Amino acid sequence: MNEIGRRDTQWPLYEVFMQEKAERPFQSVGAVHAADAEMAILNARTVFVRRPACHTLWVVPHSAILMRTSEELADDEEDDADTGEPQRYQIFQKTSQRRAMVYVGHVGEITAVSPQHALRQAIDTFGSSEDVFVWWVVPNAAITSTDDDDIDSLFAPAYDKIYRQPSAYRTFTAIRKAKHSSNQ
Amino acid sequence: MELQTKHALAAQLLAMADDEILLAHRDSEWTGHAPILEEDIALANLAQDELGHASVWYGLLHELTGEDANQLVFFRDPTAYYNIQMVELPNGDWAFTLMRQYLFDVAEMLRLTALTESNYQPLANAAAKVRREELYHVRHSSAWVRRLGLGTDESHRRTQKALTTLWPFALQMFVPLPEEPALVASHILPDADQLKQQWLDVVLPFLHQAGLQVPDTLEPIATSRQQHSKYLAPLLQEMQEVARQDPGAEW
Repeated sequence: MNEIGRRDTQWPLYEVFMQEKAERPFQSVGAVHAADAEMAILNARTVFVRRPACHTLWVVPHSAILMRTSEELADDEEDDADTGEPQRYQIFQKTSQRRAMVYVGHVGEITAVSPQHALRQAIDTFGSSEDVFVWWVVPNAAITSTDDDDIDSLFAPAYDKIYRQPSAYRTFTAIRKAKHSSNQ
Repeated sequence: MELQTKHALAAQLLAMADDEILLAHRDSEWTGHAPILEEDIALANLAQDELGHASVWYGLLHELTGEDANQLVFFRDPTAYYNIQMVELPNGDWAFTLMRQYLFDVAEMLRLTALTESNYQPLANAAAKVRREELYHVRHSSAWVRRLGLGTDESHRRTQKALTTLWPFALQMFVPLPEEPALVASHILPDADQLKQQWLDVVLPFLHQAGLQVPDTLEPIATSRQQHSKYLAPLLQEMQEVARQDPGAEW
């Protein structure tokens, strides 16, 4: 942990991954602070599922994710610690600088004996087609997920809350009117 | 519907709506003041949900009697409010707010579950819809009460104090309204005593597991919803202030 991390008195940071519909890829949408994974799920729901549709949420401790930018990959020789038990890892990439609400998106799964091992395999498997600015390697063991039973209570009610949409208010009409009259 | 039944049902809907609107107002007071940003958003979210529930019950009341929600909420004096005293109480600390929320949420969830079987179909339909997110409310408030109860000495002390203070207030949730027995007999409402027993079956073991002592009483703080604490008038003064400055304003 770095200097700033050591001085941080806040709760641990959890990265939040959202799947908008069944079978769609998970995307990282931001992070929440929480004392533990169960609270992180509730906080993630509160912060990131107020308006958009959601099918499944994952939370993962920030510290459990191997994150590498393309610059870091070019500069660093990773220590090989390829001696562990084989584990499943979820691989995420950032391939566009233009997306404001999503940082990295899911591209696939890898079985490997360490996060570094998983990353090297991921680069071979998923790295060829386009520029990848950032890689995230997420161990399956660190993921806490909502399940299908949660959809009805955590996510479905948001569909009926049209008052959370900006379009539910007459502001736009008011702005158009104001613009229209100032143009005359 | 018979006039007597209609009258009794209107009183019940008003009681449910008034409880929710005042709890929504208290929750909204945390906006900008909660211990962390995520919970600030959660409480604002909760306030909006309870406001939404109030709007549902005032809406059913409007269908029944033609009474207008805005008039009821913003232009009624404290003596005409029909809420329980628990939702009037100031927020206190985080433990007090979450304990109140927990005790209320479990009762609401059980009441809504029972109401999905109501013979009054509009009430059964609304209950089924509202109940979905109430499961999340219970999950949120119980997660907090458990952590606070089993947390540090300070969090435990504050949570125990909150429970001791709130317990007799919470029991007022199960005091039947004067005309309620007729509604229970015609299967429009669940029986209040049964509801109380169901609630005790949930909260007693849960609070015990959270390391908390439940006060040894089943006496509610008040038996009439016409009795209010000194906290209601200042709450309404703030909640109604803007609407009353210009009663004819269009929003």
